[in-house]
Amino acid sequence: MVELHLAKPHDIHPEDFQGTQMNTPNKLLVRELNFYYGKFHALKNINLGIPSKKVTAFIGPSGCGKSTLLRTFNRMYQLYPGQRAEGEILLDGRNILDKKEDLNLLRAKVGMVFQKPTPFPMSIYDNIAFGVKLYERLSKSEMDDRVEWALKKAALWNEVKDKLDQNGTSLSGGQQQRLCIARGIAVKPEVLLLDEPCSALDPISTARIEELVHELKHDYTIVIVTHNMQQAARVSDYTAYMYLGELIEMGDTDTMFTKPTRKETEDYITGKFG
Amino acid sequence: MRSRLRRSISQGAILDILFLNTTRVFAFLVFISLFGVMITLLMASMPTLEKFGLSFLTSDAWNPVTQEFGGLVPIYGTLVTSAIAMLIAVPVSFGIALFITELCPTLLKRPLGIAVELLAGIPSIIYGMWGLFVFAPFFADHAQPWINDHLGSLPVVGPLFQGPPMGIGMLTAGLILAIMVIPFIASVMRDVFEIVPPLLKESAYGLGATTWEVVWHVVLPYTKVGVIGGIMLGLGRALGETMAVTFVIGNAHELSTSLLMPGNTISSALANEFTEAVGELYTSSLITLGMLLFVITFIVLALAKILLIRLTAREGKTT
Repeated sequence: MVELHLAKPHDIHPEDFQGTQMNTPNKLLVRELNFYYGKFHALKNINLGIPSKKVTAFIGPSGCGKSTLLRTFNRMYQLYPGQRAEGEILLDGRNILDKKEDLNLLRAKVGMVFQKPTPFPMSIYDNIAFGVKLYERLSKSEMDDRVEWALKKAALWNEVKDKLDQNGTSLSGGQQQRLCIARGIAVKPEVLLLDEPCSALDPISTARIEELVHELKHDYTIVIVTHNMQQAARVSDYTAYMYLGELIEMGDTDTMFTKPTRKETEDYITGKFG
Repeated sequence: MRSRLRRSISQGAILDILFLNTTRVFAFLVFISLFGVMITLLMASMPTLEKFGLSFLTSDAWNPVTQEFGGLVPIYGTLVTSAIAMLIAVPVSFGIALFITELCPTLLKRPLGIAVELLAGIPSIIYGMWGLFVFAPFFADHAQPWINDHLGSLPVVGPLFQGPPMGIGMLTAGLILAIMVIPFIASVMRDVFEIVPPLLKESAYGLGATTWEVVWHVVLPYTKVGVIGGIMLGLGRALGETMAVTFVIGNAHELSTSLLMPGNTISSALANEFTEAVGELYTSSLITLGMLLFVITFIVLALAKILLIRLTAREGKTT
């Protein structure tokens, strides 16, 4: 709350921020965000803050706009004509929706992992090195170190260290997804967006990814979209509940799951609906 | 009740066997026609092979009067015109496909795609006529003097670009071929680029890659089988193209270093000379040329396959 006011006190309405218990600084601050798929109004006047170095989960029924919201954080929607966002998203105080902001630099700061593992058609090593090479010119040994570092961070190193020259697609689904996380953190982003990262994985792989999220939040601000409420409860510090393009409620995860302030949230969480 | 059931089962089994054998016969027709063509070509070219042997490949003689024949000129012409065509067509087609799939505004996408496919449907004789009556004079008046002045004086490659500005010749044939194969390669490339999963591209964009980086490092490796297939389709067409090339290549059985000089390709030689081929040896030599075209195409396909295997190996083992 305190930090929210610091950003730009005059035009923020505290009642727009349901996550009032927050007292960590916000990495991302979304203000009056509206999003359109052509004529379809997908996000309606969203205001929220994403706390720094915490895990924030977006939950809600399918089509509620949680993935859409996530995809505005790295302007992924810009690939598709007809999709547009209005409003402001401040990353460390800079409006990333501003056309003047360098898109590629933004994406270096905000990494993303998708619903399905998407290893590139190249070796495991090159999968990690690909992103790094876009921004940095490293010597062979520095690159080796970086690849090892990223794979260790993603808890994949021990499984792949002897087969770095193998194709990324030869790994199992869970390993592929950790490879994608390693690829994302290899470029040293500040924010990591996870768009239903476990939806294509088996329970054991899911548990490993969740452990990993716990580890990674010490260094990164993590936003995770999930349709699995138990997962949100397990991994996140803060939870935002969305419904039909609106942010219904946001607060710290414990409170959200034990005594939500809004009736709609309670209905969804207790399974009466959704 | 029971007997009727049994009958229907046995009927089904018979139908299955019938179906299996019918399709098998159809499939074996492929082998039969392939071997038929090969044997026919081989038998008909025996007189030439007996007379000239392997020197048919290295001799540039082509004299029906003295009955001396060699395949070097048309083989050289075929390879050179196709090489010119591919050198131009592959990058241009790649650009077209890239623009249509990645960069083009939605409104333009369909019209462009349809235009490319319509281009592919134009009969080759129309390209030939256009090449001879429109392109060749234009080329002679405006492009060839420039080529002579600027490229002709270069070291090493200079001699390739010296010669009289006649309009027709191997370079012109190569250019016409390029125009003809571009729609084929471009539409195959577009089709395969379109099947790349959006998530895969998004992950590369998500790392901050530019469109070029995404296409070069992700889209192209992902679609390499299809892309090389498309290029091979174009190359196959360029190697075998007859009518358009016959119009613009000049049909001269002469080996010259200059690409501006007239030459010959295997298929244009066949088209031009079959009607006037008298004597067993003349006909047989033409058929041998045809067989060589078959062999060249086979080698090209085999090389493509090897290239593909090596590319896959470079991406890392899959097991």
